[in-house]
Amino acid sequence: MKPNVPWWQRGSIRISIVLVLLILVGGAGVGIYYTQAPPEQPIPFPHNFHVGIGAECMYCHTGAATGPSAGLPTTNKCWGCHQQLEPRNENLKLVASFAENEESIPWVPVALQPDFVKFNHQPHITAGVSCETCHGDVASMTVAEPQPRHNMGWCLDCHQKMSTPEDFVRLSDCATCHY
Amino acid sequence: MAELLKEQEETQKWGMVIDMDICSGCQACVTACSMENNVPFVGEDEMAYGRGLQWMRIRRYWEGEYPEVTPTHQPMLCQQCGSAPCEPVCPTFASVHSQEEQINVQVYNRCIGTRYCANNCPFSARVFNWFDYETPAPMNSYLNPDVSVRRRGIMEKCTFCVQRIVHGRQQAAAEGREVEDGDIVPACAQACPTDAIVFGDLSDPESKVSKMSRSDRAFKELEELGTQPKVIYLKGGKSYGG
Amino acid sequence: MSNKISRRDFLKISGIGVTAAAVLTGCGPASRYVVRQSYVDMPEYNQTGKSTYYATTCQECPAGCGLIVRTQEGRAIKVEGNPNHPVNQGKVCSRGLTSVQGLYNPDRIGGPLQRTRGDRSSQPLTWEEAVSTVQNGLSNPEKTAFLLGLMPDHLFDLVTEFSETTGAAAPVRYSALGTLEGRATLLAASKKMYGTDQFPYFDLSAADVVFNFGADYLETWLSPLAYSRGYRKMRKQEFGKRGYIVAFGARQSLTASNADEWIPVTPGSEGLVALAIGQITARLKGQTIPALFAGVNLQAAADAAGISLQKLQQLGQLFANAENSLAIPGGAALTTSVGYETAQAVLGLNILADNLGKPGGVFLAPGTTSTASMEAVKTLIQRCLDGEVDTLFIHGCNPIFELPDKLGFEKALEKVKTIISFAPFEDETALVSDFVFPDHTGLESFGYQRLLAGTDRSTYSSIQPVVQPVHNTKSTVDVLLAAAAAIPALSANLNYTDEVDFIQQKISSLIQAGGFFTASEMPTFWSKWLQFGGWWKNAANFGTPRDATKLDLELNMNTPQKVTEGEEFHLVTFSTQMGDGRGANRPWLQETPDPQTTVTWNSWIEMHPATAEHLGIMDDDIVEITPIGGTNTIEAIVYLYPAIRPDTVAIPFGQGHTALGRWAEGRGVNPAKLWSETTNQAGELTISDTLVTITPTGRRRPLARQESRVGVYGDGEH
Repeated sequence: MKPNVPWWQRGSIRISIVLVLLILVGGAGVGIYYTQAPPEQPIPFPHNFHVGIGAECMYCHTGAATGPSAGLPTTNKCWGCHQQLEPRNENLKLVASFAENEESIPWVPVALQPDFVKFNHQPHITAGVSCETCHGDVASMTVAEPQPRHNMGWCLDCHQKMSTPEDFVRLSDCATCHY
Repeated sequence: MAELLKEQEETQKWGMVIDMDICSGCQACVTACSMENNVPFVGEDEMAYGRGLQWMRIRRYWEGEYPEVTPTHQPMLCQQCGSAPCEPVCPTFASVHSQEEQINVQVYNRCIGTRYCANNCPFSARVFNWFDYETPAPMNSYLNPDVSVRRRGIMEKCTFCVQRIVHGRQQAAAEGREVEDGDIVPACAQACPTDAIVFGDLSDPESKVSKMSRSDRAFKELEELGTQPKVIYLKGGKSYGG
Repeated sequence: MSNKISRRDFLKISGIGVTAAAVLTGCGPASRYVVRQSYVDMPEYNQTGKSTYYATTCQECPAGCGLIVRTQEGRAIKVEGNPNHPVNQGKVCSRGLTSVQGLYNPDRIGGPLQRTRGDRSSQPLTWEEAVSTVQNGLSNPEKTAFLLGLMPDHLFDLVTEFSETTGAAAPVRYSALGTLEGRATLLAASKKMYGTDQFPYFDLSAADVVFNFGADYLETWLSPLAYSRGYRKMRKQEFGKRGYIVAFGARQSLTASNADEWIPVTPGSEGLVALAIGQITARLKGQTIPALFAGVNLQAAADAAGISLQKLQQLGQLFANAENSLAIPGGAALTTSVGYETAQAVLGLNILADNLGKPGGVFLAPGTTSTASMEAVKTLIQRCLDGEVDTLFIHGCNPIFELPDKLGFEKALEKVKTIISFAPFEDETALVSDFVFPDHTGLESFGYQRLLAGTDRSTYSSIQPVVQPVHNTKSTVDVLLAAAAAIPALSANLNYTDEVDFIQQKISSLIQAGGFFTASEMPTFWSKWLQFGGWWKNAANFGTPRDATKLDLELNMNTPQKVTEGEEFHLVTFSTQMGDGRGANRPWLQETPDPQTTVTWNSWIEMHPATAEHLGIMDDDIVEITPIGGTNTIEAIVYLYPAIRPDTVAIPFGQGHTALGRWAEGRGVNPAKLWSETTNQAGELTISDTLVTITPTGRRRPLARQESRVGVYGDGEH
């Protein structure tokens, strides 16, 4: 005789539903973790040290004030300073070997936007937005870490706070960033 | 009334004038648009099915009977309507009006491909990515980094080269000046061998495009529909001295 | 350098977990796992994310328009026109725009090859081996021959210098585009009538009435962008004056469709019409009728052309009464057996209209040129057949595709011991070569081009690489110089270290020649030369044609061939954006619709709807085309074209490749298969004299056209 239990009270169904939810939530959790974890870099570059000794952001990321992309330092830029230093540890030896072989260092950019988002550094720097506002307190990081909630709501939030209602028409326009 | 006029004036922005008297129909604008905007080529079979992705096309109409037969060439592109039929039908707000630029924008990352907008467009100016079209390496090297590469299932159309508009505006702001007439030129107008396409700010009564739009040859395509197109055609004429 | 990856690719690689996250967070930072390479040493002209622009010259056709190429992080992105360049003034055509698709074409040859003739397989060589192969050929100058394209560029100058110093035969030049334009005929007639070896420049901009006999100046003829600008100015003259254009031709081209009147005359009758118009004009002006125009019978001319005498009189009045009338010969009107006489008659009209050297009239484009005639090609073929050619160098020309089969070029090649092709693509000729030593494409190479048509001032247009070579290719000039350096007899005379040195020595005379810029020494001059995209004079220095004939010559103008109505047809071959056929491997040239028919990715045969109805042929039917007196047949798809004479059919040139890569191969037909090998007085192929018969095959294949077929001809789908 069939037990007179509605389907949603059956144990097997309930377990399956819980399992599916767990997989989804777990998958999402892992996904979010991966998007927020700093990617592996060829050299674990200590931002904190370099900022600590007084290097300006734009000394290495030269393009920020004048163009869309801040850019990554060239091997020769690293070597410009580092050739005067003794390669005390493995990482510094790596820098030396990249420079001697005239190879580019395969840095992995961290703060990247997807293809359909067109971001331009120059107007933001001109408007007086500091680098930390978006990239976090780099002085306390070794490798650059992705910042949480680097999403459209966050962009718009800042645009609204920093602009007049008239300017916000432009700063909230789809065509300003998406084309 | 004055308020109404003022409002209308305010909402005018980018516009285009196409002089059909000197447009030769050579298709340079079509190629220029496609190369600028990463428009994929679809191949012979898909073209035959009418799935070509050109954002711009030259409509050719034969008029008259042999031997007095002659074609009219009319470049047709998104008319960037002020009151656009494509916008209210989009369930995901992917087809929206840009308040700043007064153009219709297509937000690719919102588009889910219902194609309602294309069906509602009286100008057939919208095209749909039925498939993912491959640009085999190394040919993908020429893709314009300023324009998103669209994937399957996305509606697309002429943007008035909005990447150039934004770039021109940012460039002017960086130099601490206003955008001047002629600073911003879309790819079609830039290539046009006879300068039949003129682009500019309709809000500025002194701009070249405004002056041309006041010509007595000016007309708008399907104006009676009330969509307020921002593309103005100048009637072609084949009369001597006209 | 950045490694671009689309969002789609990212999603594929990164798997479901991240996909879920990307969806949940509203599209996560997708391309962050992409490795972007930083520079070792960033060039000072470069900034990540910003574009760098280079001036160079378009190499897609001999017009030589100035380009500005947008590059970003070492990639050529977009071709734009150079606003300061005297030819195109910032404009660019479809062919120029797609030159990046040539540069980045996946079917390019990656490096020097040795190959078995007619076989698709090949063995790679090193450039050292390549140079020594070329050296072997050059060391025996009497037994070498060069076949080049029409470009008046630095390679042509070097090869000319080589042949002058060694006594080798002068380079032979050929391009089907030149034939379709009637280039050789125009030049020969210009020499006869105006007494100089220069291209006439027809100043449309101030003309009141233009009589155009077959020149497709808005499409491909000589310098389409310069003439398009002239066309615009003519339509927009001062005080609202709008010039009037009358186009003569059996088929309405795009240029003719932009005229105010199109007169469909029988192919080959253009010369008679021109003479008749001359006679009427002279009579109306009250002059004694010059000998040139006196001999023609008006009624006979009208009958031959298939128009009424009344119409002819009307046209004569129009030409005579206008203040500035201009007559242009070109294209299909010149590629007939009476083409040379036709060109003379039309150029004579300009003398009669007294417009030489006047605004709205005829000028001479600066720069003399040597005619590239079919006679030279025939001589080359004969030399090959006689076994006088051991090494044949082929550059910028695809003779197997572009020459009529009847000439027997392919057969002659069998007698040549070594054929060396410098083609960057595996074209039909490269397939029958022994070696392929690929040259750079135009956007990767150095050079210059002397401009011969379409410019109002002496112009040298500079060519510079806008990107690093994509493949292991080498400039042909460098290969030739390297080979010559190892031959003592040559190295003494050809004393150039490399290509750039050769160019610099050649342009050094320009420093003192009074251009719009100058410099005290070569390095500065060179940097400006590259920056501006060339060197040209400050102001127009047109030549003025002389009336060398006083119009007293008599022309023996034959009446055009008669066709049996409804059975035989005149075949008109017209040029399209594919040019001499090299454009067929650019997918965007294939997909850009033909302006008149909106057909893409194929070729077609244009036929008048009435003719088709008579023959029982429908739109999109496949028909077999057989030349009268020939055996080669081709099959093409019918396009019902309302603007063509019922006794004429027309086929576009450029498709029908059996090689040249994935986008060109096996697509459309090559009308050169039908052309006869006969030439006219000026040494031009008489391709417009070809008569054909049409047989339906009973098969159909829809053409990929952009137009809607419904309603185009006033009813439903055909």
